[in-house]
Amino acid sequence: MKKILAIIMAVVLCMTIAGCSAPTENAADTNEYDVGGTLNLYTWEGMFPQEILDGFAEETGIDIIYNNFDFDETMLAKLQAAGGGDYDLVIADDYIIEMAIAEGLVQKLDKSKIPSLGNVNPVYTKQFFDPTDEYTVPYGAGVQTIIYDPALFDVEIKGYADLWNAAFEDNVGLIGNYRVIDGMALKVMGESYNTEDTAVIEAAGQKLLELAPNIRLIKDEGLQEDLISGEVGAGVVYTSQVTMAKMAKPELEIVYPEEGLGFGIMSGFIPSQAPNPNAAHAFLEYILDPERAAACFEFLGYYCTTLPAEEFIAEDMKEFLTIPSDFDTSKMEMIENVSAETLELHEQIWTAFKAECE
Amino acid sequence: MFILSFLTRGETWGVVWDFTAENYANIFEPVYLETFWESLKLAFISTGFVILLGYPFGYFMAKLTRKWKSRMMMFLMIPFWTSSLIRLYGWIVIFRANGTLDSFLMGTGLTSEPLKLLYTYPAVVVGMIYALLPFMIFAVYSSAEKLDMSLVEAARDLGASRWRAFLTVSLKLTLPGLLSGVILTFVPSMGLFFIADILGGSKVVLIGNVIQDQLMKTHNWPFAAALAVALMLITTLFMVLYRKITKVKDLEGIV
Repeated sequence: MKKILAIIMAVVLCMTIAGCSAPTENAADTNEYDVGGTLNLYTWEGMFPQEILDGFAEETGIDIIYNNFDFDETMLAKLQAAGGGDYDLVIADDYIIEMAIAEGLVQKLDKSKIPSLGNVNPVYTKQFFDPTDEYTVPYGAGVQTIIYDPALFDVEIKGYADLWNAAFEDNVGLIGNYRVIDGMALKVMGESYNTEDTAVIEAAGQKLLELAPNIRLIKDEGLQEDLISGEVGAGVVYTSQVTMAKMAKPELEIVYPEEGLGFGIMSGFIPSQAPNPNAAHAFLEYILDPERAAACFEFLGYYCTTLPAEEFIAEDMKEFLTIPSDFDTSKMEMIENVSAETLELHEQIWTAFKAECE
Repeated sequence: MFILSFLTRGETWGVVWDFTAENYANIFEPVYLETFWESLKLAFISTGFVILLGYPFGYFMAKLTRKWKSRMMMFLMIPFWTSSLIRLYGWIVIFRANGTLDSFLMGTGLTSEPLKLLYTYPAVVVGMIYALLPFMIFAVYSSAEKLDMSLVEAARDLGASRWRAFLTVSLKLTLPGLLSGVILTFVPSMGLFFIADILGGSKVVLIGNVIQDQLMKTHNWPFAAALAVALMLITTLFMVLYRKITKVKDLEGIV
């Protein structure tokens, strides 16, 4: 009796393991229906409001299959395994798109099928990952900003350097993005995010260790919750988190660090072997419409990359979704891919920093 | 994975088929050695607490009446019906500023202001104990249940004190359960890095965190593989050592 039970348990276990790999198979299965018009969208969860997805399906008759990934890296690994197929449209971060293009997994856009391409805000075009704008259409941009509760501290925050102040002891939350946080120390030292100088990066590592006593928490997702609940008084956060935190707790103050801003762009691209590129082009065109784009960015909480959409954004959200008009864009710098050795060093100073925080 | 650990990373993405031992040499960077040490330390601390709490629990549970035994079993099983991640978020609700525990302590007047409990080392240890305790209880329970109480009575009749009877008879006979409980807690505790992330605010860096970073952020799969192999070796080493010292061959509850 026990043996039979054990066998049943083993079979169940096998089935659950097989179940874990099912999504990719499903994606492959659906391909045969694509002639009838299916858009296999591959991006993070919660990138589009439901009414936009439904509206697109209704207007074009193209069914959207929304596949999501949690990390850019997962996306690239899957896309590579699928040989650039399976998905029609991928929306991901800038640096990973550069890698995907280098791996030959991206096809050039057919710009005649996206007449509204001119709606893209020129600030976000011709960037390092796609210098000639041949492959990508930006969808949302973010900057790393400081946000804090001025009532809790006597000192005013103007830039990253102020976070080193002892007044913030055990009260700062950071996003878990090592290039951003290592870069913060680099910025305080007046260096570039993308420096390849190992001595400079090591010095930044030392600088970071001095910040450790002030760090209460490092986490990538949901850091705004800790700012809202008062678990931390100050934080270095992503744009979407700034939007959520400010909406819930208006007394928080946003600081655009005087040392300069790091920013990132999310963009859509069409994989090289996409089963239904026409549907992808149609969707990109659909979301470039100013009114629809405004609805998307209000939902998404990132900076609006579609210029004419800005006037359709609700007044109370405009502050969070557009670059401040007095903003010095020359101080903005994108975080680009660096050599493997440099990346290794970044990871090392980051690990040392996290361990020092405890 | 073993093969992967000897390959070289690609310049931007993927792996190149160049054999090298450099990944293993990299492990000896002080930063990474320290994370191994940190993992071991946390594993020992959690296992220690789990023994202290789990052994008496399992032991006395075996002495309950049949009806209460099955009820206790039920109570222990119910939490497993929800995902472990969700249960961890429950601890956040308890620990966070002005959370359940804070409100209780302030309500009773023991503390006057919110304690910073979340994102600390003790919070991580509590999370580890919580996750691992049931394994110890079940292991001890299964061997304590088989314990023939007449042997203890015989020892008492022959003049042994309560303690002596426990140490020489009960403990000896339930030792296999305790020892397999130790294995069942120690081995997984080396790998439960997400507890350190969620309850420790990523400040307690375990070897699992480094492996995850190397996989997801640095894209250095060969190095991640090398770290994982090293972790397996260490765990195996400890298990072998443990068997040598305790001379246990069959582990109750596992085999």
